[in-house]
Amino acid sequence: MDVQVAERGAFSWIQVRLEPGEQFISESGAMFRASPNIDIDVTTRNRGGGGILGGAARMFAGESFFLSTYSSNDGRPGEVGLAPTHQGQVQKIDCDGATDWICAGGSYLGSSQSLAINTQFQGFRGMLSGESLSFIAVSGAGVLLVNAFGKITGIDVAGGLTVDTGHVVAFQDSLSYSIGKAGGSLLQSFLTGEGLVLNFSGQGRIYVQSHNPDEFGREIGPMLPPRRG
Amino acid sequence: MDYRIDGNPDYGQLTVTLAPGDSFLAEAGSMAYMSDGMKLKSRLIGGFLKALIRKFVAGESLFVGEYSHPTSGSATFSPNRPGSIRQRTMRNDTFILTAGSFMAATPGVKLTTRFGGLRAIFSGEGAFIIEASGQGELFFNSYGAIIEKQVDGALTVDTGHVVAWESGLTYDVATVGGVKSTLFSGEGLVMRFSGKGAIYLQTRTLGGMARWLTQFSR
Repeated sequence: MDVQVAERGAFSWIQVRLEPGEQFISESGAMFRASPNIDIDVTTRNRGGGGILGGAARMFAGESFFLSTYSSNDGRPGEVGLAPTHQGQVQKIDCDGATDWICAGGSYLGSSQSLAINTQFQGFRGMLSGESLSFIAVSGAGVLLVNAFGKITGIDVAGGLTVDTGHVVAFQDSLSYSIGKAGGSLLQSFLTGEGLVLNFSGQGRIYVQSHNPDEFGREIGPMLPPRRG
Repeated sequence: MDYRIDGNPDYGQLTVTLAPGDSFLAEAGSMAYMSDGMKLKSRLIGGFLKALIRKFVAGESLFVGEYSHPTSGSATFSPNRPGSIRQRTMRNDTFILTAGSFMAATPGVKLTTRFGGLRAIFSGEGAFIIEASGQGELFFNSYGAIIEKQVDGALTVDTGHVVAWESGLTYDVATVGGVKSTLFSGEGLVMRFSGKGAIYLQTRTLGGMARWLTQFSR
């Protein structure tokens, strides 16, 4: 399997070259081209997530209900091109199997078959609602693809880092994290418009995105006419 | 205080490093990530009444966040809309920003919100403008890239593309294509600047994006 990030700017896309017998999975709808010998199987994934319920969990995680699985059907290599919805960079993460990754719900683009994706990850249970805080746990060794709104920056945390929840793309599970408020008190946090943040500590790598897609949505939303019905 | 802008023109973001005693003001909600131990307080800009009016009439934030760090730390900010960030050093001069263009400033920069009158309402850029004065570093942002243009004489600009201008310039609002088309489409308004000074323009408009998206709304 060969996975290449094809552009580095605002319009990144991914080329996956599959050898016979290999499979690659992506969020459904991400495929924009495939060689003629590629079979596309659309499923709700059973692994970790648990069938339809897992699919529903993915839906609530800001992900499409279905995942697509790609494989070659004629014993020869095949190619798949993947593109995310948002304008921005795609990051390829080589998971070594030793450390799990946690991926923001809207940032998951695809992964190799060897990775287990758990959409029922409960790491942030019990926090305040009001922000879409859904994360997917990824374990195993293989390639994970994440996408972003804007630029992706990789930071090796040593000590502490506070990240607005809307800017988190993915991070290593070796980091400790807690949900907090940026302003100290709830009132300060509300007044400054900084909602929930994740406070990271320990050692590990995190990818953050330069822009927050929900904030952009909220900015442009009022300029659009109301939905019918 | 040190600052760094990267990601321009499409995904500009601003990183400031604060020494003990430094503080920094940024648009509410714009913090993306920051060092451990950063202190954050909310502060009102432009007086309570004006801020309140802006909040309810223009839908803008009432507060800005004031950041400081007891030892030393950095914070990265990004605007809601993807685009460019520009810095301007204020030296007791006046600089005018359209609503939504203000991003951040050092505390020596004074910010006042001004009702821009009918001209501002008809300019399509919101009824309020922000006037910056004092001394320090000012940061503003755009949707798309920012073009800086030195005006000496006159310049006509589509209203939605204006980000900021120096106080040596004055403007009036004019229509192109007749009053009827202006009223019914919201298009065809221009700002005619005259005088001498720099003007900053954005290469895209959020209104244009919204109008284009509207046709797909169901």
